[in-house]
Amino acid sequence: MHIVSIDDPERALARCREAAVELVIVDLEPGAERERWLEALRREGRPVLVAGAQADGTPRRLREPGPYDDEILQNMNSALLVIDTDACITACNPPAELILGERADALRGRSVRRWFAGDPPGEDWVARTLAQGVRFRGAESTITRSDGTRVPIGISCAPIVDSDGVRLGVVATFQDLTEIKQLQRQVLQAEKMASIGQLAAGVAHEINNPMGFIHANLFQMAEYVGDLRRVFSAVDELRKAVARGDTAEAREAAGRLDATAEETQVDFLLSDLAKAIRESQEGSERIRHIVQDLREFSHTDTGERVLADVNQCLDSTATIVWPMMKHLVVLEKEFHQLPSVPCFPMQLKQVFMNLLVNAFQSIEEKIGGSSETGRIQLRTEVRGEFVVVSVSDSGAGIAPENLARIFDPFFTTKKVGVGTGLGLSTCYSIVRRHGGTITVESQLGRGSSFEVLLRIEAGETPDDGA
Amino acid sequence: MVPDGRLSLLVVDDEPRILSALCRTLRREGYEVLTSETVEGALRVLDARPIDAILSDQRMPGTSGMQFLAEAARRQPDAIRMLITGWTEEIPASQLEQLGVRALITKPWDDAKLKATLRRALRPEAC
Repeated sequence: MHIVSIDDPERALARCREAAVELVIVDLEPGAERERWLEALRREGRPVLVAGAQADGTPRRLREPGPYDDEILQNMNSALLVIDTDACITACNPPAELILGERADALRGRSVRRWFAGDPPGEDWVARTLAQGVRFRGAESTITRSDGTRVPIGISCAPIVDSDGVRLGVVATFQDLTEIKQLQRQVLQAEKMASIGQLAAGVAHEINNPMGFIHANLFQMAEYVGDLRRVFSAVDELRKAVARGDTAEAREAAGRLDATAEETQVDFLLSDLAKAIRESQEGSERIRHIVQDLREFSHTDTGERVLADVNQCLDSTATIVWPMMKHLVVLEKEFHQLPSVPCFPMQLKQVFMNLLVNAFQSIEEKIGGSSETGRIQLRTEVRGEFVVVSVSDSGAGIAPENLARIFDPFFTTKKVGVGTGLGLSTCYSIVRRHGGTITVESQLGRGSSFEVLLRIEAGETPDDGA
Repeated sequence: MVPDGRLSLLVVDDEPRILSALCRTLRREGYEVLTSETVEGALRVLDARPIDAILSDQRMPGTSGMQFLAEAARRQPDAIRMLITGWTEEIPASQLEQLGVRALITKPWDDAKLKATLRRALRPEAC
């Protein structure tokens, strides 16, 4: 027997035409493409054997559900779909009907792509499992129902393989994450409000300064008005005396006017009144800005990414945090020109604020009460496909044994009431959501440096299992 | 005390508008008011001439009023020391006492109370 191995269906077909071929064994990935080539080869009148097919020549198929399978399927809390190699649903359970929004009879035999076509496409875990035969666990994806509504899901996919190792399909289990997503958003907001609480003291100080001088100026201006009224009533007396034509009285009134003007320092009064008004206006403008910044900061993002200037996000966050740290810290900024990044700007600001507040608290821990000053360095740059933001401090640093745990939820080394233990874990999930990474380098007693990499093109970080 | 009998008061705050407003408030109080926006400037004044009283802001860039007052006490131990702050944090009474801080004023201040507090602190015999 003479065996020829050809890795191109086109050339295989040509070979069938030019030579006497007794048997063609086809080993192609299942799918429409394979069906097309099988059809073409069969037309050449050659016996064709499909690799992975059963001995009788019928293609291998997923078996029908057995006696207990149905009970198991019906009573699972997770949604489950069994999907064949053509991506068609062969079995499903009630939670799957609920999430996909269709009855079982409307699901069976239909292509799963209709619901699972991921957006971005990389999220289509079912297709990836079919194509690569690799198992995915706990990936996040979205289902699009036929009415267009989208449901966030957590999905695990495993290939179904028969005893000969032939891929027969995929079993996918998934859960509706709508509620969990909502809780996540609430935790995010709660964490942000906690950080705003920390900011409040700093903001109060920043407002108390302009409030201090506006308040004092108003007191003085009220006194000035009293003095001016005295000057004006002296002017009025003089005017009346002149009107009466009483020269002696007018001379006397003029004398009193001079004395009042002298006593009240009216020239100074008038110029200082204008100055006090100007300064107070500037102060109220400052308060307006602070309140506006704070209000902006407490906003939540809309659900959509927007193109934003990361430098601006970092700078405006530093402005808000600055008052709480300026007595202990020298802030150095090294911003490089950055392309706009598709992001959730409010969430990024929250990351930057957490890093800045941590940097400050670390410096405070190290030098609080002494006469030293600490240093916080903010740096931005473009590195390959990423925008890089680094926040470095000269603070107390992180103990090596804690370094691996700092991004864990509820891990904190701060005193009770100072931190929620959610700051860095929030940073971590926000940065991941942006398709980025957050890393830290730290030396105990020397300081820490956090680096946030944000992808310039939109995209999520692939799950660790991928 | 300056030759005309007025008491000299050195006011230190990194916020020029605060200095300006304090000068306005104290205009008719009969003090000779000197101001500085920086601790360095204030220390130069203390090196150059005798001062009766110092009123310093607590939070200033890179330093605190407490640190400045401690340094001021070394240069002119007799100068009366007072602190003004817009910060909500509490400064332990023991620290204030240790530094001999005669008065702690919060921003925003009450006009009449500020004047009364300064009078009490600077001329205890008159009250």
